[in-house]
Amino acid sequence: MGQWATRVLLAIGAVLVVLEFIVHRHGEIALEDLPLFPAVYAFFVCIFIVVGGIWLRKIAMRPEDYYDDE
Amino acid sequence: MMSDLLTAMPPGFLMMLLALPIIWVPHHARQLVMLAAIAMSAFSLTAGAGQHLNIEMLGFEMSLYRADHLSLPFAIVFHIAAALNVFYGWHERKATDHVAGLSYAGAAIAALHAGDLVTLFIWWEATAVTSVFLILASGTQRARRAAMRYLIVQVASGVLLLAGAAMLYSESGSLAFAGMTLGSTGTWMIFIAFGIKAAFPLLNGWLQDAYPEATVVGTVVLSSFTTKLAIYALARGFAGTDLLILIGCLMTAFPVFFAVIENDMRRVLAYSLNNQLGFMVVAIGIGTELAINGAVAHAFAHIIYKGLLFMSMGAVLYRVGTVKASELGGLYKSMPWTMVFCIVGAMSISAFPLFSGFAAKSLIMSALGYKGLVAAYLVLLAASAGVLHHSGIKIPYFAFFGHDGGHKVKEAPFGMLVAMGAASALCIGIGSLPGLFYQILPYSIDYNPYDASHVLGQMELLIFSILAFTFLMRFGFYPPELKSTVLNTDWLYRRVAVAAGRPVLWAVMAVWTSFVCALGGYRDAIWSSVERLAHAPITGPTVPGRAVMVQTLVLVVILAIGYLLAG
Repeated sequence: MGQWATRVLLAIGAVLVVLEFIVHRHGEIALEDLPLFPAVYAFFVCIFIVVGGIWLRKIAMRPEDYYDDE
Repeated sequence: MMSDLLTAMPPGFLMMLLALPIIWVPHHARQLVMLAAIAMSAFSLTAGAGQHLNIEMLGFEMSLYRADHLSLPFAIVFHIAAALNVFYGWHERKATDHVAGLSYAGAAIAALHAGDLVTLFIWWEATAVTSVFLILASGTQRARRAAMRYLIVQVASGVLLLAGAAMLYSESGSLAFAGMTLGSTGTWMIFIAFGIKAAFPLLNGWLQDAYPEATVVGTVVLSSFTTKLAIYALARGFAGTDLLILIGCLMTAFPVFFAVIENDMRRVLAYSLNNQLGFMVVAIGIGTELAINGAVAHAFAHIIYKGLLFMSMGAVLYRVGTVKASELGGLYKSMPWTMVFCIVGAMSISAFPLFSGFAAKSLIMSALGYKGLVAAYLVLLAASAGVLHHSGIKIPYFAFFGHDGGHKVKEAPFGMLVAMGAASALCIGIGSLPGLFYQILPYSIDYNPYDASHVLGQMELLIFSILAFTFLMRFGFYPPELKSTVLNTDWLYRRVAVAAGRPVLWAVMAVWTSFVCALGGYRDAIWSSVERLAHAPITGPTVPGRAVMVQTLVLVVILAIGYLLAG
């Protein structure tokens, strides 16, 4: 994605952060009512997923022809 | 008259009946015949709720056509998917995909209307034996092997279902397919039979193994029916079973990591499918009216957007010849329509407001919240971010943008574009008019996903997930797409079972061979003594041994008859 796409995303992100303090947001569970909870949670979950994926590669990744001898 | 006949027939039945004759129908007419078969099958649904066809067989009352508020939404979406698939496969002149696809969809639809477990078993197995041709039709050795593994697993699921049904019958005297409580061996067997088709953790290997090996059209068709039939079966049989919440959470979480590192895009979608099934399984485990509505709504929306995503990757495979992320990129120039439709599918699965996933998933999340299941809620929330990550971003990004793969190809065939366009319209329609969509759900509810608070929360979740992705890409932390095989649970039977089983097999074969050798030795000994007797004159020089033996035999027979008559 190009520079402009990143900028647009950052702009939307900023708008959402501002909205967070205008709209009274409440979640399905109490934890979700914390300010910016969905944003922070999603951001770190995504990083955790990628880290987990890198770790998973170490144990579960094999050459492309791994099963070819069947 | 005609309409009476149609409504008396189980939906899907006509599709199976017409599937074989369409071999002899020429190409374009064939697609029209298929659409007509699907339309007539859909017409059967107008019979409404109730038991419409019971037959007596071998002393059992078989219920071939039972319809109610739970089967109807599944039946509607199965018909929609079947029709979309006809358009998607319009370019395909060979009949294999069409025959298999139509009979497979028909079997799945018929299974939805099975009122007893034996009827369910019959259609359950029928979905397996029809759908396997969608994989076989690829024609490669690799696909043939995957197809055989797929068939073994699917048939095993059916055998478990039948065995469980038999045990349940001996316990309760009833074969009715209704709500069950886990406890007896019979119910566990049925639960596992459903669990195999629903791709429970550890039982999921067949899904990611087989689906990506099917033909271009085949994978799209496969993605619609088998797993969602299992979801329907779980919703009918095991709603409110607490264990399903745990199983579902595991299903939403684990495939996400595999999807991130998998290189084959259709396999990424297969992992993503597995993750989506997890949401439905959790909802069935909660079991409240809102949750069951959520599971059904999610299955409905999912069949269409997941089909759409598979369609877009199928189109890429059809034009480019590969769906390896490491070899794709930059296709937005040559396949702009496919890109647009793919993004609609991606936004739907990611649950962007105004797209179908949002209308469906909100029900499940609310049902979890009302029940106060905080841990499960957080897992599903994380999985939602994960879905966005691997299906929402990875699929369109690596196929259509990213590093340019240098492929100069044509846009997808017209039929594919029609199917993808229609599926996209449905995704947006469901997402924009949830009130209308909720009317077909099993329970009537008063629910509005579009309050400002909810939309804002969801947008935060989505936008900050995308920001995390861009952040990781920009700073080079994102793992590159590598040509590789990622081991999944099918490794257990493709490698571990083989390694452990081979010595056992050798031992068994050694015992068996020595047994057969010994038997052969005895046979030779007996035969040679008979030979010796036959050639040795034992009653004198004029009468050969053979004649004596025949005479003795005749005598024995006469004696035996005489004995029987006297006795």
